[in-house]
Amino acid sequence: MTHQLLEINGLVKRFGGLTALKSIDMSVGEGELLGLIGPNGSGKTTLLNIVSGYYNADAGGISYEGRAILGDAPHQLARMGIGRSFQVTKIFQRLTVLENMLVAGLSDGKASRSEATARAAGLLRDLKLERLSDTRASSLSGGQGKLLEFARIMMLSPKIILLDEPFGGVHPELKRFMHDQLRKWNGAGTTIILISHDMGSIFDLCERVVTLSYGDIICDGTPEETRNDPAVLDAYLGDHHGSA
Amino acid sequence: MSMVAILEQSLNGLIVSSFYALAALGLAIIFGVLRVVNFAHGELYMLGGYAYFLAVSTLGMPPMLGILVATMALAAVGALVEWLLIRPVYDGRADRPEEYSIMITFALSILLLNLANSLFGPWPRRPEPLFRGGVELGELIVSGDRLAAASVAMLLIAILLAGLRYTWAGRAVRAVSQNREAAAIFGISVTRVGMLAFATGAALAGTAGALMGPVFNVVPSMGIIPVIKAYVIVVLGGLGSIPGAIIGAIILGQVESFATILIPDPSRALAYKDAYGLVLLVGILLLRPEGLFGTKGRRA
Amino acid sequence: MTLNSLRATGLAATLGIFIILPFVLEDYWIYTVTIGFYYAILAASWALLVGYVGRISFAQTAMAGLGGYASALSVQHIGLPPVIGLGFGVLVAGLIGFVIGRLTLRLHGAYLGLTTIAFAEILRITITAEYSLTEGSRGLQVAALIEGGTRVEYYFLFLAVTVACLALMTWLLRSRIGLFFQSIREDEDGAASLGVNVTLWKTVAFAISSAFAGLAGGLQAHFVQLITPSMMSLQEMGLVLAMAVIGGFHNVFFAALGGVGLQVLLEALRELGEWRLVVFGLLTLLILRLMPNGIFGALFDALAKRLMRNGNDK
Repeated sequence: MTHQLLEINGLVKRFGGLTALKSIDMSVGEGELLGLIGPNGSGKTTLLNIVSGYYNADAGGISYEGRAILGDAPHQLARMGIGRSFQVTKIFQRLTVLENMLVAGLSDGKASRSEATARAAGLLRDLKLERLSDTRASSLSGGQGKLLEFARIMMLSPKIILLDEPFGGVHPELKRFMHDQLRKWNGAGTTIILISHDMGSIFDLCERVVTLSYGDIICDGTPEETRNDPAVLDAYLGDHHGSA
Repeated sequence: MSMVAILEQSLNGLIVSSFYALAALGLAIIFGVLRVVNFAHGELYMLGGYAYFLAVSTLGMPPMLGILVATMALAAVGALVEWLLIRPVYDGRADRPEEYSIMITFALSILLLNLANSLFGPWPRRPEPLFRGGVELGELIVSGDRLAAASVAMLLIAILLAGLRYTWAGRAVRAVSQNREAAAIFGISVTRVGMLAFATGAALAGTAGALMGPVFNVVPSMGIIPVIKAYVIVVLGGLGSIPGAIIGAIILGQVESFATILIPDPSRALAYKDAYGLVLLVGILLLRPEGLFGTKGRRA
Repeated sequence: MTLNSLRATGLAATLGIFIILPFVLEDYWIYTVTIGFYYAILAASWALLVGYVGRISFAQTAMAGLGGYASALSVQHIGLPPVIGLGFGVLVAGLIGFVIGRLTLRLHGAYLGLTTIAFAEILRITITAEYSLTEGSRGLQVAALIEGGTRVEYYFLFLAVTVACLALMTWLLRSRIGLFFQSIREDEDGAASLGVNVTLWKTVAFAISSAFAGLAGGLQAHFVQLITPSMMSLQEMGLVLAMAVIGGFHNVFFAALGGVGLQVLLEALRELGEWRLVVFGLLTLLILRLMPNGIFGALFDALAKRLMRNGNDK
């Protein structure tokens, strides 16, 4: 029986008295570029954190490429091909851009330093960061930092990447560049789950949008369907459409 | 055990608790406001003891005045330390603030210890206590100096709690403890509150030292064991929690009081005496770092 | 001159100086510098843990004592030759370090610091209390490492071991493991998201740092031929911290220099008595506040800047 790349079944997560995820069922197929939206507190980041191994769940299961992964450590999942970014970038400030890349490239112990450096150089070129290779990450601008985080994740050669608000505070031209990169990687086979409040980006990039509200999935469909769904409009109170 | 004996042990426990509480509260306030674990707290306590000694034995002041001198002196020291050493944590001058604050207070503790050693020598001093002789409370007999010292301590704790609750400065301290940014937005000078917190914390430690000094001797290393107890209390109660510190102090005082009579004491067990508090500290930190009343997820 | 050749020159010059030193110094100072090497290894191994991995620990001197006592006692009771005893000391310290590293995984910052202080003191108190085995505070007589060795012989032995330790540490820190260590210091969650086994490397770091400390402790014990629990005290820890901070605790070589340098200074300022430690304490506070890279770090940075200004490569 074929399976989807990522299957989430009956996932429940509670924090003390608060139920952040009520019982999430969703599947993500290989090659999808999926948007995950919802008002603040709807559980998007919580879901991401569970899938990437930072939180455990109170009930339910997750399977990735057919095997159960709930409870695995983040570094194990990273090596299996699940990459993720963070809302506030976690680049290594006192290391150089290249060193940031090498941590990802060398972490599984398989590649040699020269191989990893060559791959890093390629990715940095794609993202127009190659001139900053030996610069300390702390000297980068906010936008460059976000690009570096992308580049680092791609060093893992991930099958699926989970992006948490990657466009926060990014100016339009850089955002367009990021969109192009994401489309390019998606086209080459990388599955992408994108959390964003930036509806423009979501509707621009994603063929499928999943909407969360108070820990429940209230809509799962195309951007058009989502835009017109009454439950979604209700959850957002109608003031998020078209915001860039 | 007779009822009288039990009551006596319990009272002794309460007396000791009051001293611990004073020192522990100082630690709790400093952490609550500045998010700094003051590794030099034991030495501030020790300096309080020496301040009292200088005031009473060297300058001949009456004991109550000696306590006041110690409190004021340590408040000044605390303010100075905050201004010179702790402030960089907040105004962006320290590259790695968390690491820095740990190392600088540790280095300060070593400095103060050696300073006291050099200035006063390692031999113990016994300044005059607040009250000499025994006191009879019905059938109980308690040593007067301990009782007097404990009474002063409890009075100070009451004043502190009242101050935190009812004065503007106290509310500012609580506000900054709960949410530094919000407090700043509301116009509270967080820098000044920080200095106030460290000064208060130091003053509390120093007063505890001044009260305990006549009872247990003033010596440069006098702060080392009490500060472990203060850490145990504060960690047990939850770092930064004021009620937690008080309850923790009461628990520890009672446990220690009864443990000394209930546990048979072969000479080796005595040698390990100082380790018990440490083992308790490790236990709490490893098993329940947020303590009984602290909030989870706060990383010191 | 490039930055790399500046580094190489500095290293060569320093090594050269230390090789020549025994031929120009009196016996007393040769002895002092030898003790300085003990502190050099301690300061460097502490810098590895605190400066590179970002895990604060006040248990370094306790680990040294553990290694020293393990070595001394194994020689005394099992009849091992001192060199093997040293190895045993390294093993014991490394193992205990591994355990402490494992237990403290979820602790950070001051909580971690407090826990290591508690562990260190528990170890010291235990060794003091078990006086039937360790002679407690009276001190334990320890077999000599080199039978009838001269001060010069010990000097060169210690120098060789120190150089070997620093070489090993540098090799480790320049490798991918060094990158993992630093990524953990910078951002643990970020490191984990990139495939770094944070749990493993935090534990290994503590073990390695403790193993080096254990080696230093063993060497010291078999050199001075006496070991007491006071070498595990927090006072000694404060001294090691001072040495690493003043030298520069983000670089093992600078920290090591701080170790030797401060030990020599300690002896040179003998007449100040207890006040020496007060001076060091003040110096530590000043350096922490004003020169976070330490004296040697600041010196190197200044020289490097000079080079760059002269239009040479980075």
